[in-house]
Amino acid sequence: MIAHRRILVVEDDPDTADQLIDSLTSSGYRVDLAASGTEALTRGVAGDYAVITIDRMLPDIDGISVMRQLRDDGVVAPVLIISALGEVDDRVRGLRAGGDDYLVKPFSFVELLARVEALGRRSETIVKETILHVGDLAIDLVSRTASRRGKHIVLFPREFQLLEYLVRNEGCIVSRAMLLQHVWDLHFDPSTNIIDVYVGRVRRKVDDQQAYPLIHTVRGVGYCLRAPG
Amino acid sequence: MSGTVSVLLAKTLTSSTFKLALIAIGTFGVIVSVIFSYVYLSTSAYVRGRSDRAIMLEYSSLQGAYERSGREGLLALTQQRMADSSFSGDMYVLADPSLAVLGGNLKVWPPTVTETSGWTEFRAAHRLLNETNRPLIRAMVGTFPSGDRLLVGRDISDLDSFTDLIKAAVISGVALIFVLAGVASILVTRRTVGRIESINATSRAIMLSGLDKRIPLRGSNDEWDRVAENLNLMLDRIETLMGEIKQVSDNVAHDLRTPLTRMRGRLEKAYHGQRVAKDDQWLIGETIGDLDAVLRMFLSITRIAQIESQARKDGFRNVDLVDIASEVVELYDAAAEQDGTRLTVIADREVLATGDRDLIFDAIANLVDNAIKHGRAEGQVVVAAENVDGKPVVSIADDGPGIPTEEYEHVFKRFYRLEHSRYTPGNGLGLSLVAAVARLHGVKIDLLDNSPGLKVKLWFSAIVR
Repeated sequence: MIAHRRILVVEDDPDTADQLIDSLTSSGYRVDLAASGTEALTRGVAGDYAVITIDRMLPDIDGISVMRQLRDDGVVAPVLIISALGEVDDRVRGLRAGGDDYLVKPFSFVELLARVEALGRRSETIVKETILHVGDLAIDLVSRTASRRGKHIVLFPREFQLLEYLVRNEGCIVSRAMLLQHVWDLHFDPSTNIIDVYVGRVRRKVDDQQAYPLIHTVRGVGYCLRAPG
Repeated sequence: MSGTVSVLLAKTLTSSTFKLALIAIGTFGVIVSVIFSYVYLSTSAYVRGRSDRAIMLEYSSLQGAYERSGREGLLALTQQRMADSSFSGDMYVLADPSLAVLGGNLKVWPPTVTETSGWTEFRAAHRLLNETNRPLIRAMVGTFPSGDRLLVGRDISDLDSFTDLIKAAVISGVALIFVLAGVASILVTRRTVGRIESINATSRAIMLSGLDKRIPLRGSNDEWDRVAENLNLMLDRIETLMGEIKQVSDNVAHDLRTPLTRMRGRLEKAYHGQRVAKDDQWLIGETIGDLDAVLRMFLSITRIAQIESQARKDGFRNVDLVDIASEVVELYDAAAEQDGTRLTVIADREVLATGDRDLIFDAIANLVDNAIKHGRAEGQVVVAAENVDGKPVVSIADDGPGIPTEEYEHVFKRFYRLEHSRYTPGNGLGLSLVAAVARLHGVKIDLLDNSPGLKVKLWFSAIVR
């Protein structure tokens, strides 16, 4: 498990690299830094990393090419490409279709952590259960129903999908963009507070008149579903 | 004034039109020279040939007379020729082997003629004229078996001056053509250079002083006027765009100043005040929120610019607008519920269009968001996806106050806000994004009065099956 908490950060700008290392380290990751594409190739093959983050614009090799080369060399760790909006082309957008992801600059570090967390989990084995439990919440993946303390919660299909995604990422921060991406399959950052309103309604259905709240707002980023204690 | 004229002349002489004219004149001149030289050479050859034939004819008839009846017969024939009223002025000389003249109309055998047979030319002896002005004689000389020599000649000074005349005419003709063509090309080039100079002068004036100048038209309705017209139209367009850019940057400055001032004030107060953990937490949270708003604004601007650069056409697929519209309605259902708005969707079974799902979703979402925000409280918003006359159409209608007709053309401008206050939430970029997505997809946007309310219709182009 410890081995899976190692992260390779590929970033040529020293300030950005410091900030990345700082926030990842404080979240319990062990971070290695590669300041160029060539260094990334050497380190990527040598170390067993849970996630690799690569800046799109490196001085020597293009970030996407570094990722391709790592794959060719047999590195299976999921990759998070960090790109300026102007550099988001089809190759970058295509990442989300596979097991990888991208993040548009400027980003909040909570969002970065959420995405790295999600990518890291993806490489672990997914438990094949039909009913998931968080605290007194139970969701049935087969009948697509949810209940708290045995009391049925009425949800629209999309609302159930949203709750399922939150439950699957129990204890982790899920950003608005991640929700939009996984629940609606939309790949842009919403400019309005629409996701908040939507989650608000799900939250009312799930948390109103219960012993404790499950869905928590993470200011400025998104949400986290967790049981108390 | 003479300074400007000489500058204009210098520009004329260095202009590309003039260089082209020179090349044309050169080519044309060579062709004309070749043609005229041919005329000259063939004319003089013809004239000489005629006179040579006449001399040869005369020589052979005299030769015949000599062979038939000797010296006397020949001399008799020459006497007869000279006595003839139509005597052409030919020269005859018969001389013995020692070149002593036996008869004819020359007193001595021409001293320069040493040939024994064939053609020769010499200046006739003349007591009144000096060497060069003496008539030029072309003659045929022959020697009989007895050793007697016969010379038959003719004054060809006239022929010579005739060919000289042709030569002079040809040379002066060619020279005249060159001069006329040169003058004509200078005049034409000067006119061109003059027009270009007026365009150049206006361009310089525009660069120096501003976009309000226009290139003057001459009313000649020629290609120069059309060039000037188009340049003026371009200047109009640039002036409008510059105005819009100024408006946009004013708005950006305003929209940035508001959150930045707020953040600064908050931080300054905290800096001078007491450290209270709870207040600091709140302050940091609010500041991050304001910064996010600023960053979102930049993100929206970049996104619109990216869409406008047409870079995303490769993500185009056939999409069902009914699906997208329904998903947008589903996403906004909660927001509508919060506002008490009834949000419904009317749809055909399938409405296919070609495009980028994310972008179309975003555009429709922005319009629905506007309809809910700016529509009547407790009102109704209807999203429709239909095929109208074979064209896929998505329309979003509310029953709110709507917008005045005269504002229709402005609402898609970046940062444009209807109320002209800039203090309500939102950054005025939503409809610009809709407009950019529409342009990328070739979608025509209609704004209609829903009486009451506003109806926005997006006319997609039918897919190619």
